[in-house]
Amino acid sequence: MITSSDNIPQLVDHLFRHEAGKLVSVLTKIFGPQNIDLAEDVVQDSLIEAMEHWQYKGVPENPSAWLFRVAKNKALNIINREGYQRKYESEVSHFLKSELTLDPALNHLFSDQEIQDDQLRMIFTCCHPAISPDSQIALALKTLCGFSIPEIAKAFLTTEENINKRLVRARQNIRDANVSFEIPRGNELEKRLNTVLETIYLLFNEGYSASKGNDLIRYELCEEAIRLAQIIIADNSIQRKETVHALIALMFINASRFKARQDYDGNILTMEEQERSLWDRQMLDTGIGHLSEASQNNSISIYHILAAISAQYSIVASYEETDWKNILSLYDSLILLDNSPIILLNRAIAVSKVEGATQALAELEKIKSNPAFKSYHSFYSTEAEFYMDMADYKNAIISLEKAIELAPLQSQKELLGKKLKFCGEKIF
Amino acid sequence: MKEFMLLIKNQGDGKAALSPEEQQQFLKACQVYIEDLMKNGKLKSAQPIIREGVILSYNEKSFTETPFDKTKEVQVGYYHILANDLDEAVAIAKRNPEFAFIKGATIEVRPLKMLEQTTQFRYPTK
Repeated sequence: MITSSDNIPQLVDHLFRHEAGKLVSVLTKIFGPQNIDLAEDVVQDSLIEAMEHWQYKGVPENPSAWLFRVAKNKALNIINREGYQRKYESEVSHFLKSELTLDPALNHLFSDQEIQDDQLRMIFTCCHPAISPDSQIALALKTLCGFSIPEIAKAFLTTEENINKRLVRARQNIRDANVSFEIPRGNELEKRLNTVLETIYLLFNEGYSASKGNDLIRYELCEEAIRLAQIIIADNSIQRKETVHALIALMFINASRFKARQDYDGNILTMEEQERSLWDRQMLDTGIGHLSEASQNNSISIYHILAAISAQYSIVASYEETDWKNILSLYDSLILLDNSPIILLNRAIAVSKVEGATQALAELEKIKSNPAFKSYHSFYSTEAEFYMDMADYKNAIISLEKAIELAPLQSQKELLGKKLKFCGEKIF
Repeated sequence: MKEFMLLIKNQGDGKAALSPEEQQQFLKACQVYIEDLMKNGKLKSAQPIIREGVILSYNEKSFTETPFDKTKEVQVGYYHILANDLDEAVAIAKRNPEFAFIKGATIEVRPLKMLEQTTQFRYPTK
């Protein structure tokens, strides 16, 4: 049976990305996490076989089942192949070697519940602390999200060779640390879940940050980050999920502004500059829904507060109505949990709105010695804004010149250059 | 009308680099291509060839089965087509989506030896 041709795009897109992620997870369970590369190879072979079949015969009615059947057979061939000797074995592979246990074992391994759990195990494996954060992201995209190496390279604006190195390193880390394929329990769970959420948030921000890169693929990074968090939400083996809900809320609320977040040159736009009609109302509502789920049991995390701050901009009708007092008090709570430079800088902006530019400059003075700001153009462009608010154009020029020197994008330099010109005209 | 085989070959990893969008577009383009050939009565059959199997050889009374190497150049499918001459067969092969999507893909265009040439039997044309 062939489905009508109109169905092909949606079907295949869904299939090749997400079914690949499911399959790699199940096969990693079968081969053991030390053999992730083998699982990836089998899935890739299966996808190519599917494509080469469908290329001539059309896409079958249940492509997912088709794909799983092919992958299952390939996996069994590998396990039963004579002379097949791998250094590591998984706890389930021996069930697959006996005809007596083969069928029930396969049925169990490929049941919906197990696939769901395996994806969660895979998330914990990819985000294992033994792996560096940028390798964690690359591995998650490759295994769980079905991204090809060229796609990951495109998303990170780097070379395929570079991404491949990260992947090789990640797989080696897993072998060296003898990482087991399971969902952590007890006290370990909370710690590991935090690492997972950090990686997911990092992945989201990779997609969300301004860049000249391909916007389509960057949006997919955001979608994938949300999807990974949703896999955690859907699983029953984790009880406390308030922080996960908070992160999903934050991602949905930010993603609702995805189309409005930057101009054509890839410059990130402030809330004031964004075209509000481009904001996605439905995503915002989904985000707010998760935020209320997150508020149960009085739990609190940086994601709770960041989501609440982000929501503040969206729940008012216009930028002028923004409740800066509320935002500042949220920042005051946030710096107790996380006083990273970027958060301190954003808090200073809230201070300028509530208490005025003089007070905000005093705040900047307090944090100026932080080495992270030495090379951060936004610090100096923010400082310049405060000086301009006070009509202190001389000092604004000094800050703007530093910001222009540090700005990484040519378009940012041009934008700052316009402000510099404006300040210069005010003086003479 | 004469018969030709279009033998499709890929470099081992030729399809691995396609993004999901490209995969979709590729499948769609193949569908259009095949439908077009069928509509014009040019297609006798088309089949994928699975990237599995062995290479069999015989030496001094014993067979050797060498595992098939799917990382090198692989024959991945064929089209059995009808065309007036080699030029038309080549023109049909040139339109095959393999070239636009699969890096390093080649198509070998080979005329089939026809029955008529030995028996004077005239192959029925459509």
